[in-house]
Amino acid sequence: MAPFKTLPRRVAIGYNHLIAKEAPQARQVRVFALAAVGLALAIGPTGQGMAQTRLNAAWPANVGPLNPHLYAPNQMFAQAMVYEPLVKYQADGTIGPWLAAGWEVSDDARIYTFRLRQDVRFSNGEPFDAAAVVANFTAILAGRSRHAWLELTNQIETVAALDAHTVRLTLKRPYYPTLEELALPRPFRFVAPSQFVGGGTQAGITAPIGTGPWVLKDTQLGVRDLFTRNERYWGPRPAIGEINIKVILDPNTRAVAMETGEIDLIYGSDGPVSPDTFDRFRAMGQLTTGLSKPVETLALAINSNRGATRDLAVRKAINHAVDKDTMIATVLYGTQTRADTLLAPNVPYADIGLQPYAYAPARARRLLDEAGWTVAASGARQKNGEPLLIDLCFVGTDAVSKTIAEIVQADLKKVGIGVRLVGEEESSVYARQRDGRFGMIFNRTWGPPYDPHALISSMRAPSHADYQAQSGLPDKAEIDAKIGQVLLSVDASERRRLYRDILTRLHDGAVYLPLTFTSAMLIAKPELGAVSFSPIAGEIPFDQIRPREP
Amino acid sequence: MAGFILRRLLLLLPMLLAASLIIFLLLRLGPSDPAMDYLRLSRVPPTPQALAEAQTMLGLDRPLAVQYLDWLWKAVRLDFGISYVTQRPVLPSLLHFLPATLQLAGVALVVTLGVSVPLGMWAARHPDRLPDHLVRLIAFIGVSMPNFWLGFLLVLLFSVHLGWLPAMGRGGWSHMVMPAIAISLMSLSINARLLRASMLEVAGQRHVTYARLRGLSERTVERSHVLRNALLPIVTATGMHVGELIGGTLIVESIFSWPGVGRYAISAILNRDYPVIQCFTLLMVTIFVLCNLAVDIAYAWADPRIRLSPEVAHD
Repeated sequence: MAPFKTLPRRVAIGYNHLIAKEAPQARQVRVFALAAVGLALAIGPTGQGMAQTRLNAAWPANVGPLNPHLYAPNQMFAQAMVYEPLVKYQADGTIGPWLAAGWEVSDDARIYTFRLRQDVRFSNGEPFDAAAVVANFTAILAGRSRHAWLELTNQIETVAALDAHTVRLTLKRPYYPTLEELALPRPFRFVAPSQFVGGGTQAGITAPIGTGPWVLKDTQLGVRDLFTRNERYWGPRPAIGEINIKVILDPNTRAVAMETGEIDLIYGSDGPVSPDTFDRFRAMGQLTTGLSKPVETLALAINSNRGATRDLAVRKAINHAVDKDTMIATVLYGTQTRADTLLAPNVPYADIGLQPYAYAPARARRLLDEAGWTVAASGARQKNGEPLLIDLCFVGTDAVSKTIAEIVQADLKKVGIGVRLVGEEESSVYARQRDGRFGMIFNRTWGPPYDPHALISSMRAPSHADYQAQSGLPDKAEIDAKIGQVLLSVDASERRRLYRDILTRLHDGAVYLPLTFTSAMLIAKPELGAVSFSPIAGEIPFDQIRPREP
Repeated sequence: MAGFILRRLLLLLPMLLAASLIIFLLLRLGPSDPAMDYLRLSRVPPTPQALAEAQTMLGLDRPLAVQYLDWLWKAVRLDFGISYVTQRPVLPSLLHFLPATLQLAGVALVVTLGVSVPLGMWAARHPDRLPDHLVRLIAFIGVSMPNFWLGFLLVLLFSVHLGWLPAMGRGGWSHMVMPAIAISLMSLSINARLLRASMLEVAGQRHVTYARLRGLSERTVERSHVLRNALLPIVTATGMHVGELIGGTLIVESIFSWPGVGRYAISAILNRDYPVIQCFTLLMVTIFVLCNLAVDIAYAWADPRIRLSPEVAHD
């Protein structure tokens, strides 16, 4: 009992949440916590008691019906808890075995032969075998149009079972990111075929029965989703018995829930709490806080086909004029790191030593002067009667984007570039991305394991801001051709060379103002121990959490 | 009286029809595209093919008139469609969340009346003296403070610092205290000031002076002759407050993670979930109209001059 008196109240509540099942009121907390400690001491931390542990986390919505082959309202992180891939994307960017113990690729890179693990069963006891894999692929390809954004679905020709535990995947053409796309949280994951509706999954599933470490036990609409450990799991048993995902829509409420002990963990790469809130938790020092390695790049796409930004000198001047370090320190509270290139060096094929555009306002002014953008009496620059005024488009309700936009506006004004801020609602901003109605616009890369292949592939589609921004580059056609080549490349060194060429051209063309490398955020009770980050942005590694022994 | 009520109820139908059309057009004529939002929520890149697929799936590829008539035809049979976001039928979901909202709004109404009436009476008994100034200050703060800000302040004090009340969720009475206060403060502030003004006005009327001359006790005069007559405007205001209280749950439910209709609607608005927004709006229109009708009935019951007027009495 004595140690508890020395613990802050908040920690005591958190501890109780890990051991007991309910979240009682303040006075009851101590009673339950003490009882729980007694129970834990009596049965030992690795015995039956661990099965009773519950971790409370928060998410803005219910996890949905958890159909592994469909999208919203199925929440990706929850799909990844229940369903597993053939191969796994690893932290170093390589692909490792998972439900497939191994694989072979034919010399022409069109045929992939997977040897399945033989010790895997679905959580209802059904065997996971080649027939189940083929049935799932057939179900996915029945809705091919829904997955057309994912090139692999377009490239798959046939999927066949060679024997009970061997599957052959045949592609129409060689496609090097095949394994990366098989590792995605959806759609190439496996539900027990007995749960198909109407012979497939496009019309729904009966129940979310997968092979993963967790089983969806209960859903209360608008309240919570409860997962329990899959007792038939073939891999390492999770240390936590239950994951209770509370539905908390508002990020500030999530922060309060963390502070009052209602939840034990906040995790996410989409700003689960605001940067200042994260900074506050970090400063408090009573909770574990962490930032992952760079996940995505936040950048402004600069339109090379519209207005003043058609001029390369203007685009380069923009890159030299923005003080990213101050922005990160003040607006983002150090929760992100400075980006000097479109892709972080830890992204496969992206560590190619590009020379950053350093923060140098004097150089920006010189570039503009040399390009003929002269300063008028009003202080604004112009050329041939055209004012140097650029639209910067952002989602108006996004406070962080708005502040960043204002800082960019202020920094560019110092070198004589006028910026008109255009804050609109999200789908309007997306519409501008699609049709190129922007001077500069907020844009993000896709994160692992999509980067770089899916990102650069999308650069060929006019519906993307990347395409629109690049469309004024003199070598755009050549860039697109090289993108086509790199996706079909079989030879790794050739692929590396092509990536270097593409990324260098984009960097030299200054069609992006890379701002920051964003990270996933983690705020956790210290009792959870060291919580690792998932290599894939959309997943939460609950199964890796090993709570500290009391 | 029955005819009066029936006529008012029948009037609800064209009002709902007009509201549905206005909301339908307002949503569609804006720059938003729910298909884009669906792809964003799905983390699917908005390729033209994916966008077309999503529009077909959500029924947005049809002409506007067809979309509206189809929706209307189903709505009259109480089929409000499927949520774009949750892919669940809208009406059952709304009805699932409605009891929680009604519970919260009900408690907030009790708080509103339970606090505003004594406050208003206290202020009216001591016009332009300290109690009156205090109530005025409370009312000033109450109407000025946004309910979401008050909600966070309450959480900060009672949950984070003092640890007395649960910060969120739906459970026992303790879960309702802060959301109910956050929702009701504005209404009770208005009510208190309204009652104060009404009581002072009634207190100066001749029938009150006559009651005092008859030698009735001050307590009786206040209860039977001042308060009863002064409450008539409060009855009207309360009808409006019920709608406001339910509307107030929109933000407060999100802050307190209260699983009610308000939070469901906020989520729908954020994600351009048209079917949910339309159904929610119609629900709110219905509640407002019914509340107004209830107020009219209560008014007629409380005030014989209205009850016996030709419009009401002879219907």
